[in-house]
Amino acid sequence: MDDLSLASDAALVVAIGRWRQDALAEAYRRHGGAVFGLAQRVVNDRTLAEEVVQEVFLRLWNSPDRFDPERGSLRSFLLAQCHGRSVDLVRSESARRAREAREHRERAEAGYDLEHEVWDLAVGEHVREALAELPADERQAIELAYFGGHSYREVASMLGQPEGTVKSRIRTGLQRLRGGLSKAGIGALT
Amino acid sequence: MSQTHDELRELLGVYALDAVDDDERATIERHLVTCPRCRAEVEEHREVATLLADPGADAPAGLWDRIAGSLDEAPPPLVLTPLTPRATRRRRWLPPAAIGIAAALLIAVLGAQVRHQDDRINRLEASAADPLLASYERALGDPDATVVELAGARGVQAVVTPDGSGYLGAASLPRLAPDRTYQLWGKVGDDLVSLGVLGADPDVVPFRAEGVTLLAVTEERAGGVVRSSQDPVVSGQLS
Repeated sequence: MDDLSLASDAALVVAIGRWRQDALAEAYRRHGGAVFGLAQRVVNDRTLAEEVVQEVFLRLWNSPDRFDPERGSLRSFLLAQCHGRSVDLVRSESARRAREAREHRERAEAGYDLEHEVWDLAVGEHVREALAELPADERQAIELAYFGGHSYREVASMLGQPEGTVKSRIRTGLQRLRGGLSKAGIGALT
Repeated sequence: MSQTHDELRELLGVYALDAVDDDERATIERHLVTCPRCRAEVEEHREVATLLADPGADAPAGLWDRIAGSLDEAPPPLVLTPLTPRATRRRRWLPPAAIGIAAALLIAVLGAQVRHQDDRINRLEASAADPLLASYERALGDPDATVVELAGARGVQAVVTPDGSGYLGAASLPRLAPDRTYQLWGKVGDDLVSLGVLGADPDVVPFRAEGVTLLAVTEERAGGVVRSSQDPVVSGQLS
């Protein structure tokens, strides 16, 4: 346990529960970049994104027992926290929101595609492939909700589609992605 | 609440992406408490979303220093130093200014306790039917019981009622790997005896407190050990 760079994420969280700051530092080193990237993407403001990252890791420090390794990876946990907090921020800033909605609509109309934004590593390749198999309307709805921080009702009005349709497209799209990714043998999903 | 199960299931994808409004979120979260299948589906959606997120370059330089700077005080030392039991804390008269400071501190402490209380309420909701949890809550509410916060980790406390029943509230101990376990030890006279093997993720643990002067929890391999050579994870003096 003392060589934290070799410790599992679950072991890191146990060490964090024992007030080991170096364990939090290691968790930050592993996942801080991803958390920041997602926050930045959703809130679209560097200062706000940094605040979100700070909150997410402080929360891990103060309540490490909220993370349950049986319910998913640490990264997934941290990103879910980060996303929830980012969306709260975005929704509390209506002016910014209106502007972003316009931008997203323009990008959507210009045939903007999620796969261009997906990360560019070995796993990214599989994610891109899985995304490519997704119908465009599912992809678009997922992108607007997840990265745009929009509610599905807003997504529906932005895309001019019924709310129920958007709701089930997002769910079906996520399930289809999962299927594609586990076929490709992506570790976290198998 | 009027939604059918199928209608709720339809919402799980957008819920996992935080794309529902507050009312819907509340409805879904109430449902998730009782529905492991829907919980599992939400986790699956979140794992997929995780893969879509950019693993990113490095987080901004300097941000870690800000985080580290805002962390709580250094942890209490991990030694067998007992904390003063709440019940026997001494009273002293304080000058008025100190009362103001004390009040501010009290508010801070209460704030922290409310947070723990929230956690506990969540757990209570999850296992409302657990009689052990109910006994524990009753013991905590007993004015004649002794409550001791154990040093070494946050939120671990023991309560001992006058009839010698003890309960260890260990829910805030982080879950261990499946091949590890927590083990509870009590000092009786000069001997350290095992009071129980607690498993990797204990919640409330009952124990016999008669004659026990000191409690300690260690981390061991699954199955537990007869004699521990580990430093305690938490410990505290009972009497």
